[in-house]
Amino acid sequence: MLHPFQSVLLNRDGSLLFCVVKNEIKAFKVEGNGYVLRGEWVDDLDNTPLIKEKVLKEQARQLIENASKKLKTNDGEPVAQPKKQAKVPKPGPGAPPVYQYIRNLALSRDGKLLLACTDSDKAAVIFNIDLDDKDNIFKLIKRQPYPKRPNAITTSVDDKDLILADKFGDVYSMPIQNDVITSINAEKAPILGHVSMLTDVNMLTDSEGKQYIVTADRDEHIRISHYPQSFIVDKWLFGHEEFVSTICIPEWSDKLLFSAGGDKFVFSWNWKTGALLFKFDYTDLIQKYLTSDHLAPERFQNEKGDVIEYSVAKIVTLKDVPYIAFFVEATKVLFVLKVDEKSGALSLHQTLEFDEKIVSLTSALDVNTLCISLDNRDNQDCDLVKLLLLEGDVFIEQKDTNSQLMNTIRSTLKSDLIANVEAGDVYPLYHNASLRKHGEHFS
Amino acid sequence: MSFSTRRQAYRAEKQDHRKELKHVKIDESVIEKVDKLSLPKKKFYRQRAHSNPFSDHQLEYPISPAHMDWSKLYPHFYDSEKKKMTKDVTIADIGCGYGGLMIDLSPEFPDEMILGMEIRVQVTNYVEDRIIALRTNHAKENGYQNINVLRGNAMKFLPNFFNKGQLSKIFFCFPDPHFKQRKHKARIVTDTLLSEYAYVLKEGGIIYTITDVLDLHEWMVKHLEEHPLFERLSEEWEAQDKCVSIMRNATEEGKKVERNKGDKYIACFVRLPTPDII
Ligand SMILES: C[S@@+](CC[C@H](N)C(=O)[O-])C[C@H]1O[C@@H](n2cnc3c(N)ncnc32)[C@H](O)[C@@H]1O
Repeated sequence: MLHPFQSVLLNRDGSLLFCVVKNEIKAFKVEGNGYVLRGEWVDDLDNTPLIKEKVLKEQARQLIENASKKLKTNDGEPVAQPKKQAKVPKPGPGAPPVYQYIRNLALSRDGKLLLACTDSDKAAVIFNIDLDDKDNIFKLIKRQPYPKRPNAITTSVDDKDLILADKFGDVYSMPIQNDVITSINAEKAPILGHVSMLTDVNMLTDSEGKQYIVTADRDEHIRISHYPQSFIVDKWLFGHEEFVSTICIPEWSDKLLFSAGGDKFVFSWNWKTGALLFKFDYTDLIQKYLTSDHLAPERFQNEKGDVIEYSVAKIVTLKDVPYIAFFVEATKVLFVLKVDEKSGALSLHQTLEFDEKIVSLTSALDVNTLCISLDNRDNQDCDLVKLLLLEGDVFIEQKDTNSQLMNTIRSTLKSDLIANVEAGDVYPLYHNASLRKHGEHFS
Repeated sequence: MSFSTRRQAYRAEKQDHRKELKHVKIDESVIEKVDKLSLPKKKFYRQRAHSNPFSDHQLEYPISPAHMDWSKLYPHFYDSEKKKMTKDVTIADIGCGYGGLMIDLSPEFPDEMILGMEIRVQVTNYVEDRIIALRTNHAKENGYQNINVLRGNAMKFLPNFFNKGQLSKIFFCFPDPHFKQRKHKARIVTDTLLSEYAYVLKEGGIIYTITDVLDLHEWMVKHLEEHPLFERLSEEWEAQDKCVSIMRNATEEGKKVERNKGDKYIACFVRLPTPDII
């Protein structure tokens, strides 16, 4: 079977569609009246040497540590320590598998750079998009490893700096055109940090052109700091009671910001004042779409085994129409909300149901188009991606475009060794649920 | 009875007391009921030395500072007619341990509300019981009404409790040293956390640090000096500041260091005015 697309990304005018399958990125471009394959990149980094290096480092560290509590013979002579060869540990049968994931696909604001993160070496990968190259539009600029796994990336408003938020709460800012830095901690301190896993990062500009950086974390926090003076915290947006997984900043407003995550609401904020303007409760709407996928992990279950947990995976918007679209992880439904631009109030505008679960959501800002990727595991014939266009005031599935696009995708992926997998070999597609805190530690 | 059963019984009894007394305004009528409350015994509250600041604890914290009900903690500062507090907390002791600093600060700053924040449950319970006993025993002169303790992880949730610029003093007394390089991010003073402390401190507010670990002292000084919103205060300033002399000897950790004739390294920093935004 074809592996589902873990994530999809459209550029502003919808002319480029980027899709991630496991450790490869494919770029499809509109040409004539359909999409054609125009770029591919595979993360084929063998991380065995990296692991080996880590093991060696750890061994050296332990040796130093042990030196202080060295074994001595009865005469006080130190006992020689056996010198061991560093072995790359092979994961045992129960160990969690290591995936060569590509995540956090993003474009620079001018659309000229594609950014991605690789799990293999915890790196940010930056490509120039060279549309003149007929064979492959991806031109790798650099691959910058980070000390901890990157969780979200964006660029500064002028596209000069890459801004990256990691799993351990730190945010780094680095000039995109600079050389690769080998020892980030020593040379490059984080520009800000939370003591929590970061889940999203983005930039804001106020009416005077001053920049802010917005960071969201697993502990309910959304923080707004100045940029580049990121040591000055402007404010927190308080109101979430569960993790935040997505923030959305519309271009059509100079004050609104939307966020969601493990709460049963989509939040609407005035980021200038910090006021929470509206909470849209989607509990009732989502009930009929919840399945056994949403049962809480066993150790957090009750006796009846009916504890369900669900969360919003992503919110997107468009350039100048006051709508936002969001979906709840591992459901077959996409909701479109209408935003009252003045008050920030949210109301249900449209509900779009699909045959399969939504994996990823993106939008082409300038052409009022949404795009989703679907989990095709139970239905090999289903479209891997679907484009939805705003016609009048409703989003309509683009049947012709979609079937043409699917033909292109199927024919280009037909002999692709990475994309063709056994049903059991699909990478994890749903990551949000694990962000939920259950307060396991009592003391 | 074994120690652990005695400890259990003791903790249960104290917990009942705490429930009853924690949230009442102590006045004469209560005093008659309880007579003199004996101060809690530390040995029944011992707990593992460390609590991991990165884990998901079962913590209670307000959604935002506006959601925080301070009246329960400082009933004497609650105006029941206007239904609001007459003061805000302005002094925070982060990682307050057994609470000695607050107890010595209390009479020195009778008009300021002082809060200790401590991550370990049993240690927090001890401080609560200690404050209940002190308040009861000093009810005539309304003693110790201006101090209290909260269980919380200051590295994660300080901004949930305090507004921008609310605090005038923050104390870090003998913080956990986390010697290993890999554990440095667990230190309570890091360059990234300092931006949060700077947010809750008013301009001109002060960060006090004291430790017996030279390496940690140098670390804190380095990070505070490098942070654009802090500037170190001189030794002359330290010599004339009453909090510095209190901090030197008031805390349980400080007393231990004193007994062992250890060194005490002090560094104080002022929160500079926020520069123009570029
Ligand atoms: C070595 S003790 C010092 C206690 C007290 N300040 C003294 O001088 O006696 C450090 C204290 O900080 C507490 N602590 C560590 N990390 C903390 C955190 N993130 N939030 C609140 N308290 C913390 C520890 O539980 C411990 O009680």
